[in-house]
Amino acid sequence: MAVRSVPQPREPVPTQDVTVPPAPPARQTRSSEPAADAAATAVLACSGLRKRFGERMAVDGVGFTIAPGETYGLLGPNGAGKTTTISMVCGLLVRDGGEVFVQGRPLDPATTDVKGLIGYVPQDLAIYPDLSARENLAFFGRLYGMSGRALRQRVDELLAVVELADRAGERTEHYSGGMKRRLNIAIGLLHRPRLLVLDEPTVGVDPQSRNAILSSVETLSAEGMGILYTTHYMEEAERLCDRVGIIDEGRIRAEGTRRDLVALVGGRDRVSLAASGDIRAAAMAARAIRGVEDATPREGGLDLLVVEARSLLPRLLEAVGDAGASVRSVEVVEPDLEAVFLHLTGKALRD
Amino acid sequence: MAAAFVIAARILRQRLRDRSALIFAVLTPLGLAVAFSALVAPAQTSYHTSYAVYDGDHGAFSRVLLDEVFGHLVTGGVADLVPVSSEAAAREEVGAAEVGAGIVVPAGFSTAIAAGTPTSVTILGRDAPSALQIARSTVQRFASSVGATQLTIATTLATAPGAASGAGGTAGQAGPRATLDPATLDGITASVLAPGPVSVVDESADRRQATTQSFYAASMAIMFLFFATQYGALSLLAERRGGTLARLLAAPIRPASVILGGALAAVGLGLVTMTVMVVATTVLIGANWGPPPLVALLVVAAVLAAVGVSTLVSTFAKTEEQAGGWNVIVAMTLAVLGGTFIPLAQGPELLARLSLITPHAWFLRAVDDLSVPGVGLADIAPSVAILVAMGLLTGGLGLLRSRATLVSR
Repeated sequence: MAVRSVPQPREPVPTQDVTVPPAPPARQTRSSEPAADAAATAVLACSGLRKRFGERMAVDGVGFTIAPGETYGLLGPNGAGKTTTISMVCGLLVRDGGEVFVQGRPLDPATTDVKGLIGYVPQDLAIYPDLSARENLAFFGRLYGMSGRALRQRVDELLAVVELADRAGERTEHYSGGMKRRLNIAIGLLHRPRLLVLDEPTVGVDPQSRNAILSSVETLSAEGMGILYTTHYMEEAERLCDRVGIIDEGRIRAEGTRRDLVALVGGRDRVSLAASGDIRAAAMAARAIRGVEDATPREGGLDLLVVEARSLLPRLLEAVGDAGASVRSVEVVEPDLEAVFLHLTGKALRD
Repeated sequence: MAAAFVIAARILRQRLRDRSALIFAVLTPLGLAVAFSALVAPAQTSYHTSYAVYDGDHGAFSRVLLDEVFGHLVTGGVADLVPVSSEAAAREEVGAAEVGAGIVVPAGFSTAIAAGTPTSVTILGRDAPSALQIARSTVQRFASSVGATQLTIATTLATAPGAASGAGGTAGQAGPRATLDPATLDGITASVLAPGPVSVVDESADRRQATTQSFYAASMAIMFLFFATQYGALSLLAERRGGTLARLLAAPIRPASVILGGALAAVGLGLVTMTVMVVATTVLIGANWGPPPLVALLVVAAVLAAVGVSTLVSTFAKTEEQAGGWNVIVAMTLAVLGGTFIPLAQGPELLARLSLITPHAWFLRAVDDLSVPGVGLADIAPSVAILVAMGLLTGGLGLLRSRATLVSR
């Protein structure tokens, strides 16, 4: 599988077009499929998606495919274009350009039947607080054409899966945030969709519920469901996604497996300094050191991308101190998707 | 369309659960009807009073006044006559508030009228201005008739050839009444008091006017309907605020179904509201709405118009609060223009013309039509058709505006 680095209109840090040898997909079921066959059998294939809001180009030429059983992550900070992209994928938003195919069938906002192949879990809670979990599920089930015993059975099944069976008759306004999130996801699964679209499903969720949600996604993927997962949490993307598309300012900067993407950084380390004083001067001083590829000031410190952190660290700390900053702590992390994002965009992957 | 019903059912369930449906569709209209029942007297308990009557004359004219003229009030159920033995007794009855007013006919009353000399009837009153006014008007009408009679007699005697000589004297010497025998006098009097050969048959539209009770019942019903139905129209904004709109639009249903669902819920609430209003005002203030099938048809048409207007108005708002405010402004403006506060017949001509752009005016016009005995579908068909057209037009525009917003947010 190829990794591509998409040219950017504004390059904050020097990057190079990188092509790495096709990497084996995470799952054995896909590893034997040629790329062309994968596209033909894709649960989702979208290309050239464009959306402009006034003067701002929110999404500019985004495209990707998702195979059955594959979890594809859109990783990017808030405002990167993730939600706009999935709104077009789900037919909620009229596209200015591009195409969307679900199971090989074209989709647009006027389409109704193709939407039935998609399970959509919006970022904001989309449940009725004055209805119970059972009533919420039954209502949305009816909108998807379910009824009678089949609907009741499916509702019971999902209530058990998301561990809400005990409080199924209680109004959801009395639920905890995690319970609401689990119900929010359950509604998207009601009609057994081929493609599940999850828009930052763990925002504002406690660690226990977050872990439960991530486990559920892993299970669904293993069962063969195609999943489009947007997040700005690197850890989630690394844990869940077979492939990740790094999106920023409406464009996909690079996509591939985690290993492919990390390779883009070329073994560089990410160094995080907690410091006070003249941070900007410290960043400039750090950039002047050979081996420091990037230094980004942030509140309370500096994020740096360096070659061989261990050997550079003494000089780095000295330069930062000389520039008027006082270092309180140093953290060196191995290359990860956050480092990739920093490398590609010159920005940290955080709100 | 099935999705619209599913959505409408969910909205109604929510409105029942938070009791807003009960409050707006049942309790509030019921409360309004009760409040109006205290202000507007029911038709069954119309005005009634009693008069203490002293007849000191016992002549022909006093009998006409008391037995026939005031007798009409008795047979009409407006008043009772209580004979008393003296003027002092009449004053005592009035002073004790045993009666609404007193009528004193003095001795020599009939003789004085026959002789053409001045006489009077005394009206005694104290704490019942309506009873006093009715008695005063009744006696004045009688006095006018007597005056007309006297004028007729004088004219007859002055112009009839040989009338004076035939009677044994000239008109200028002894006066006409001195020369007229009683039989002739009675004949002339009867001919003047009898109905004339020309009568007025008034078939103008103004004759089709609902009773006061029906007018106020219909006015408050149509006015309140516009408040009750906005709840459905606001549901779209509520879905957006609650984050559920995106999920609805992601479902395999047409975007229009979401809007139609809200409109159907509004229709349901509107029908319940109007039913409560019609029944409550009929029972509590004696409003006469007309034949139930035709009333039902009119109510459905009015609800469609109200839902259409509310749907359109709500599309111009970005929040529920904004939409609610605009709906109130529109509802009150239409109510004023439509003649719900003042009957259009009593208002200026301009208001009557302007009112035709409002559903309220057409609804009230249909209620007036329904007050006519033997009313049929053809009588209210124009009003019903216009109400439905208003609903479809405004609702259709609202649907188009909402759809455009839904798919290109």
